[in-house]
Amino acid sequence: MARIKKKGQAGQAKNFITRTQAVRKLQISLPDFRRLCIFKGIYPREPRNKKKAAKGSTPSTTFYYTRDIQYLLHEPLLRKFREHKALGKKISKALGRGEVKDAARLEKTQTPRMTLDHIIKERYPTFVDALRDLDDALSMLFLFANLPSTATVPPKTIALCQRLCLEFEHYLITTHALRKSFLSIKGIYYQATIQGQDILWLVPYKFVQRVTGDVDFRIMGTFVEFYTTLLGFVNFRLYNSIGLLYPPKFDAESDERGGELSAFTLEGRGLEEPQKAIEDVPMTNGTAEAPATSTTAQDLADKLATLPQPEDAEAAEAADPPAITPTPADDLTTEAIDTFEPTADDADILPQPLFNSSAEAASLFANTTVWLSRETPRQPLEFLLKAFGCKRVAWDPVLGDGSYTADESDPSITHQIVDRPPLSQSGVPAAAAQPEATEAEVADAPKSRTLPPGHRVPGRVYVQPQWVWDCVNQGRLLRPDLYAPGATLPPHLSPWVKAGKGVYDPAKPLEEQEEEDEAEAAAEDEDEVEGADEGAVDNEGEESEEEEAAPRRRTENPLLDRPEEVEAGEGMDVAAAETSDEEDEDEEEEEWGGLDDEPAAEDLDEAEAERLRHQRELEAEAAGVPLAAIANSSAPKSKAAEARQKADRRRKEQDEELERGMMMMSRKKRKLFEKMRYGNEKKEDEAKRLRAKRRKLEKGKGGGVA
Amino acid sequence: MSQLNGSRKRKLVTRALPDVRDDSDELGDALLGGILSQSDDGEEFDDSDDEEEDGEEEDEGSEDEMDGEEELESDEIPSEYGEEDIREQIRNLKTADVESPKGANGRLVKVNGAELPQAATGALGETNTQDDIEDLKPNYTVTTDANGNPRYLYQEIEPGYESDDSDAPATVNTIGEIPLSFYDSYPHIGYDINGKKIMRPAKGEALDALLDSIEVPQGWTGLTDPATGKPLELSREELEVLKKLTRNEVPEEGYDPYPDMVEYFTSKTEIMPLSAAPEPKRRFVPSKHEAKRVMKIVKAIKEGRIKPYRPPEETEDEDPKVKRYDLWADEAPRPDHVMHVPAPKLPPPVHDESYHPPPEYLPDKAERAAWENTDEEDRDREYLSRDHDALRKVPGYDKFVKEKFERCLDLYLAPRVRRSKLNIDPESLLPKLPSPDELRPFPTACSVVFRGHEGRVRSLAIDPSGEYLATGGDDGTVRLWQLRTGRQNWSVKFSGDEAVNVVRWRPGTEAFILAAASGENIFLVSPPIAGKPDVERSSRDVLDAGWGYAATNGASATNGPAKKEAAAKWTRPGPQLEEKGVLVKITVRSTVKVINWHRRGEYFSTVSPQGQSSAIAIHTLSKHLTQLPFRRLKGLAQSAQFHPSKPIFFVATQRTIRSYDLARRELLKILQPGAKWISSFDIHPGGDNLIVGSYDRRLLWHDLDLSTRPYKTLRYHKKAIRAVRFHQGGLPLFADASDDGSLQIFHGKVVGDLMENATIVPLKVLRGHQVRKELGVLDVDWHPKQPWCVSAGADGTCRLWQ
Repeated sequence: MARIKKKGQAGQAKNFITRTQAVRKLQISLPDFRRLCIFKGIYPREPRNKKKAAKGSTPSTTFYYTRDIQYLLHEPLLRKFREHKALGKKISKALGRGEVKDAARLEKTQTPRMTLDHIIKERYPTFVDALRDLDDALSMLFLFANLPSTATVPPKTIALCQRLCLEFEHYLITTHALRKSFLSIKGIYYQATIQGQDILWLVPYKFVQRVTGDVDFRIMGTFVEFYTTLLGFVNFRLYNSIGLLYPPKFDAESDERGGELSAFTLEGRGLEEPQKAIEDVPMTNGTAEAPATSTTAQDLADKLATLPQPEDAEAAEAADPPAITPTPADDLTTEAIDTFEPTADDADILPQPLFNSSAEAASLFANTTVWLSRETPRQPLEFLLKAFGCKRVAWDPVLGDGSYTADESDPSITHQIVDRPPLSQSGVPAAAAQPEATEAEVADAPKSRTLPPGHRVPGRVYVQPQWVWDCVNQGRLLRPDLYAPGATLPPHLSPWVKAGKGVYDPAKPLEEQEEEDEAEAAAEDEDEVEGADEGAVDNEGEESEEEEAAPRRRTENPLLDRPEEVEAGEGMDVAAAETSDEEDEDEEEEEWGGLDDEPAAEDLDEAEAERLRHQRELEAEAAGVPLAAIANSSAPKSKAAEARQKADRRRKEQDEELERGMMMMSRKKRKLFEKMRYGNEKKEDEAKRLRAKRRKLEKGKGGGVA
Repeated sequence: MSQLNGSRKRKLVTRALPDVRDDSDELGDALLGGILSQSDDGEEFDDSDDEEEDGEEEDEGSEDEMDGEEELESDEIPSEYGEEDIREQIRNLKTADVESPKGANGRLVKVNGAELPQAATGALGETNTQDDIEDLKPNYTVTTDANGNPRYLYQEIEPGYESDDSDAPATVNTIGEIPLSFYDSYPHIGYDINGKKIMRPAKGEALDALLDSIEVPQGWTGLTDPATGKPLELSREELEVLKKLTRNEVPEEGYDPYPDMVEYFTSKTEIMPLSAAPEPKRRFVPSKHEAKRVMKIVKAIKEGRIKPYRPPEETEDEDPKVKRYDLWADEAPRPDHVMHVPAPKLPPPVHDESYHPPPEYLPDKAERAAWENTDEEDRDREYLSRDHDALRKVPGYDKFVKEKFERCLDLYLAPRVRRSKLNIDPESLLPKLPSPDELRPFPTACSVVFRGHEGRVRSLAIDPSGEYLATGGDDGTVRLWQLRTGRQNWSVKFSGDEAVNVVRWRPGTEAFILAAASGENIFLVSPPIAGKPDVERSSRDVLDAGWGYAATNGASATNGPAKKEAAAKWTRPGPQLEEKGVLVKITVRSTVKVINWHRRGEYFSTVSPQGQSSAIAIHTLSKHLTQLPFRRLKGLAQSAQFHPSKPIFFVATQRTIRSYDLARRELLKILQPGAKWISSFDIHPGGDNLIVGSYDRRLLWHDLDLSTRPYKTLRYHKKAIRAVRFHQGGLPLFADASDDGSLQIFHGKVVGDLMENATIVPLKVLRGHQVRKELGVLDVDWHPKQPWCVSAGADGTCRLWQ
């Protein structure tokens, strides 16, 4: 006979341990346990059977995996925690005796030093593992880099976070690893791809963060401690991987003047000297000899701009030193992969890696020189522009150190990013503004020159900041006229939403996405509720007023679908003309859609119509109304109504079919299916809701125009 | 009593000295006395005098003691034990005295004699008893030894009672720790200390044993003493001792294990001090010496020579937060623990989180109210979409810190459970493409153009060492170029009218042999190369080896079945050509279009599409022999190739590719690429994959393990595909050449794993050749090691792509 098994000796009862038990086992305090768990990445588990895991008792508790706790027992940090505790006792004893000096000395000399290096290695055995887990780390560190220092957040921590974040940004700028960015109401999202890992993080806008009482900064501090160590190592590795020295040289003075990114100077490790030189060009600021700089820098910039691709040229030379006879056609060839288009139908289409090469990211803004106006957020714009190849970013000296030029009227500037409403010419006291500006010029003549607010330099493209983000997400320069100052911007869309079946895509015209009969059904609905709605006209009026305040043109469709690139300097008039043309085309398309729908609507079910008429007659008889009146009123409706009925019937049939199918399924499968259907339906409902809203909006707009 | 006393005294004295030595001393002194020098004797006297005195003193002492005992005895104090003991002793003594009173006397004298030899001899002389006379009878015999000197042979000394050796064990077996059973077959059971056999004691008869068992003698144990072989008998006292030992008691009678403590220093304080000296001053005055030493230390501390506390270790002035080493320098991937659930990543933002979303994403009144009325935890979004028409109007997000804090809490407090997702994203099933960096290197640009041919270049090949390029063209010449520079090294013209259709190098670097086909003739050429005479010689040897074979075996070959018509004629091409390095000329029946070598360079196959039964020929180089393996072929042969590792031969006709096992001479497989007219094909170096180019613009990838139908059909060319080639040097690349004047480079990675299909990624279109008369690029070949390829164009040029 087998040995009788005792309860609570094996299985779940043994595998899980409650938090209290864990703390007792480790003989540390609860806060220490918390810290240890955060550092080691140990999290509670959900046992499959809680009652078994809790050995019969039912109150809700957190469970940890016993092996995890067992493994914490050997943690070197535990000793440090204990030393720390002992030191705390010593210090409190000294303070109790009034020996303040002793206490201070104890604190200074005997505080145990903790490093989390071994934990990083343990949690992330390979570098790619570390990169995979960098999302939270970056979001947290960027938040802390923007926090004010308080008692709970020491300034040292903040400085460290700032340094690490800027170093990471420098790496992204150098390698052009940034892929996408998005302006949300929460902050700015960025996505970079490093060694095949997509890293997404969120940077808050530069405002003072609201801190509510229920935020425990000790916990966040523990996380930040871990994340700073992690990012430090990651930065070291990243810098080394591209042959840069780590840490980069930090100029405290420049940082004091708000240099931020430009306070760092990247240094190569011998081999990468030319690259460094290129990188350093935008870093120099023209404070010393501005008039000279503007010309020399311009020359340099021009030269750089005309050079095709310094790296590529180098690489080609290195690869093939002996006599090469490049034909003219060869000049166009690059290292990049060509796109292959199948010439016939029956071929297999082979997937090719698309817009992933950093070369494309590096060339997006390569030929532009950008001036950031005072009111624009400099940090994100500078980072984004530089990461996408813009080597010359300049801004108003008010925004800080490190600008490419301080002269706003520098002729080399091709784009100016403006975020202020255009003042009507009458509103601007031109006479007053002009002398002011000249006075300013006189005051610090060579240093920096700012133009008066309304002044436009001819030949320069003025755009709103959203242009930069949309260009980055689309991978090409967009038409700047849509983003002109004061213009109503096209909607800013998230680059991470993938168009799929049943997902609403705001960039596509409504007709493409609608299910059949949806529009008719909606129209019918509206007709029906029209009478009821008349009472609520006021409501509608309010809404329409809101919409009037921010009139929207659905012009991004031509924009998004245009395959050819629009040159940066292209005139705005031409562009405007084009849009109007395209709008016409759109209208035509809509007309066609209407024609298509008509035959479908004509296709009626006679019997059904007959039945309905009969029903109506009966109703009229009951109400005592002449039949003709009703017939007249229902006449225009009948077509749409029948279309709806038809759709209803079809839907019903489908449902029945489904019902029958489900009868055949096992219960388990049916449940699974229901779940799947629930998820899908939810998605579809959401899309439907959005479509309905848009339809309404478009209708309202059309009505307004008419 | 005095006599008794004397005997006791004697006993005491004798005990101090071992008897044997006594005897020998006696004898030695007696005999060797004369030999010893006088002076020595004198010294000995002195010594012994002293000893004697000592002995006398001892004697006296002992006598005193004895006296005391005697007194005790006489006083008749009733201490039974002592009395009995003493009485026993006395009894023993008496018996001894009775037995040999004189002997005992003599012993004493002898003993004394040992100490005082002369006196002893004198004494001996005086006390001449009969026993002594017997004793004095010389116990030796004198013989002569080898040198003629007298030699004394002493008799055995019998230690009798007179030897006074009462303590010595009677007989001790000296055989040691071995079992007695070893002696079972001998009459003795061992040896005593003198080497004499200890005889086995007589065993009693069975009756005796019976009797013994009936009347148990006192102290009978039933055991046998292994040392003596006699029955072991134990006395009562001995038994008592054993008993006590077994009980863990002290075996000695009357031993007190817990005696009363004797206090060496009394615990009582004496009223009167032992010393009347006053307390010394040093007991209450601080030590000056110590004060001096303390002052020294104080001074040192003041001067900073000594630190009162250990200073904190000199931290490097660098910031410890800056990492200065690569943590992942020796990274080794470690599989995740089965129970580990990585933290889920936050989902990316959607459209309605935008600062400026499309209007349909903005909540209307009802939605806004619903959102505001729901509990904060129940909301499906933590924010409400808002529209800002300019970036400057975007306020700070007031819940930012809170959200991040909650994420932190989630990370360390929330239990993680792995849930299987029901709706699988179909995109996750798509194959993962290699990154562009992984695909590198591949040829991207033209680096060298080889000009010189008049008319089209039909074929080209890079030699196995990768230094030279051979081309053959419509002008009937074969040219050799330096690959890196494009310089023409050598050229030969076979005939005026016929184009060189194909050139192929023999694999292997030990010889430098080129096969070229012009019309019906195949020429084997060893082009002269500068600086390598040994290679040239070896290639000549390889080509010439067959002449001899043909000469010797030619006769026998002719009377075989190959009588009707030889498949091919192997001849010398003539002196002009031989001068140029053309060594062998093979003439077949019809125009040769394709040559392919076997990997070892011993065989090569030729294809002449118009040749009907002789379309495919396999030539053996070392024998100068040509075979026609196929009597009839279905369709027109297009190309033929040997398998890179197995004895398999692939033949392409217009529509199909057949593979034959050469060893077993049977058809293995028929591949149906689905092309209308196959132009060329190539086998992957691994041998399991095949690419086929066709005139109807298709490039087909066949996986031989998968199916007879193509794994992928690629149609990227606008015109016919003329040639396809795999890279043979380990890079996962292949190229095709088309009549539209372009080459296309593909990445084609084959994994050894059978479960995984080949990955094919289009990489590059190489343009440069001009299209002449509807013909673009006619042939392509890869460098044996580098990711370089060469192409032959209809425009009369060849190009190297790097």
